[in-house]
Amino acid sequence: MDTEPIAVALKFGFLAVLYLFLFWVAQSAFRELRRTTAPAPEATGIHPIGPGGRAAATDACLVAATGGGLEAGERFDLFGGISIGRSADADVRIEDRFASGIHARLYSRGASYYVEDMNSTNGTFLNGGRLKGEAELKDLDEIRIGGTEFRFELDVPRS
Amino acid sequence: MSARNRELLALIPVALLVTGGFTAVFIVESSKIGDLSLIYGGYFLAVCLAVHLFIRARLPYADPYLFPLCALLAAIGLVMLFRINDSLALKQASIFVAGAVLLALTILLVRDYHALERYRYLIATAGILLLLATRVPGLRAPVNGAYLNINLGPLSFQPAEVSKICIVIFLASYLHEKRELLAVAARRVAGLTIPPLKHFGPLLVVWGASMLMLFYIADVGSSVMFFGAFLALLYVATARFSYVVAGLALFFVGAVLMEHLIPHIGDRVDIWLDPWHSKAVGAGQIQQSLFAQADGGLFGQGLGESLLKLPGPFAPHCAQPFPDCGSILPAPHTDEIYAVIVSDLGVFGGAGVVAVYALIAARGLKIAVMARDGFSKLLAAGLTAVFALQAVVIIGGVVRFIPLTGVTLPFVSFGGSSVIANMILLGLLLMISNDARRPRQAPEPDQELEALPA
Repeated sequence: MDTEPIAVALKFGFLAVLYLFLFWVAQSAFRELRRTTAPAPEATGIHPIGPGGRAAATDACLVAATGGGLEAGERFDLFGGISIGRSADADVRIEDRFASGIHARLYSRGASYYVEDMNSTNGTFLNGGRLKGEAELKDLDEIRIGGTEFRFELDVPRS
Repeated sequence: MSARNRELLALIPVALLVTGGFTAVFIVESSKIGDLSLIYGGYFLAVCLAVHLFIRARLPYADPYLFPLCALLAAIGLVMLFRINDSLALKQASIFVAGAVLLALTILLVRDYHALERYRYLIATAGILLLLATRVPGLRAPVNGAYLNINLGPLSFQPAEVSKICIVIFLASYLHEKRELLAVAARRVAGLTIPPLKHFGPLLVVWGASMLMLFYIADVGSSVMFFGAFLALLYVATARFSYVVAGLALFFVGAVLMEHLIPHIGDRVDIWLDPWHSKAVGAGQIQQSLFAQADGGLFGQGLGESLLKLPGPFAPHCAQPFPDCGSILPAPHTDEIYAVIVSDLGVFGGAGVVAVYALIAARGLKIAVMARDGFSKLLAAGLTAVFALQAVVIIGGVVRFIPLTGVTLPFVSFGGSSVIANMILLGLLLMISNDARRPRQAPEPDQELEALPA
């Protein structure tokens, strides 16, 4: 039996199946891309901290309330983003044995500020509730790390 | 359609390709191979189905296309190996069983991959020690001047494949913690952004150590992969293009130095620039690779029909089985498997394989975009980068786009450590995507947790 035509058919069949499959996967990838063009409101994680990050910045601050070896009422300008923790690397260094090295961070995205827990051992508490991942900050929100409490204050003129 | 049903549906083309491919090769070579060998394809499909059922049970929200795309590559690889030598296909199919078991073990044992973040220095040290082990007397066996393998009795193992995952985990977790410091706390000196050495130091030490090891064991292909992943992660973490430019500049300086210092690397560059006149050993490999691909044309010679060994009277006498000896194209089952694909299936077949890698990279980056925390994002991006770069390094080498360096084509090439390491990598990516795509539960009620000493 001459098998030549079968072999040729199988070769083109192989290529056809391969390309149809690729087309299918690519098409559904494009469809998903269109569906999620607007970032989900709860999307978290990495946002570029470019040189612009600093410019965004002196319109809000963190005010120490109690504990952490900080003076009550001490103000920290946010400068687009700061970290809080026990280590010397943290922008706001607190003496609190329940705090992790880099415990949490605050940063700005768009017109808002966010607080994110940096996988700390004991968690970060926002207005008394344990923070999961990150959350948007509102004026006079209370942030607690171990026994240290902070208050978030917006400096924007209230109209 | 749910994600898992979509995945099952996507495995149908994979099954078709394996069946069609094996049949085609069997028709061409029926005089030489036994009927029984057709079962090897069946083995492979059973493994795919088992992995699918496992994912269905453990990771119900994982990306539906990632596994079928990888299985597709494996299917093409298996058909090619079957066509080179049917006993290789049997071995590769059994390696896939081992790979699937390791994928399952990774998912079962790691459970929450965020835990990996805590062990980053341990993981980085393990990765570097694995690379070093290739130079330990008694374990080592240089291949073409490079120390790639650890030999443990009958088992041979390429540590670079596993240590690439270790290094990516380290980089992702370190950059996750320090990325603000690297991006924001930088000084500008003469228009150049200089990151603070205190935060950059540990990164440079680990990266430098892994580079040094790679040059010490002379595995250029892997070092390009490592370095590329390092730059990709640095860029994702800091969004500073200047770091990438500086890194590339450093790399080229290093590459030129190595070309002059290490003869084995100088030869590779020499062959790349002019394979037809190069006197270096190994020029024949790239010559034959180009001949084989040209032979394929647009649609190829047909599965199993391209010329890999000289016919009857011209064939050399061989003590070893076919691909190790008597092949026109050296290493057709590992480094040069892409050339065999192009020879059999033409430019269209080759482009299809490249497209599969591109789609896997797209899925991986999509997982990184969807992931909900920084470590997951960096880990997904890093694993994707290292996987895609491996394909670029070897395919680029085979088509003479860059100097040829011996890394395996992920999931396609014959080889235990490569398949197993990439299955672990796939397992991690699936876990990240399962987390990223899981629908949000209602927020838990506010509760004060008892503080534990940090």
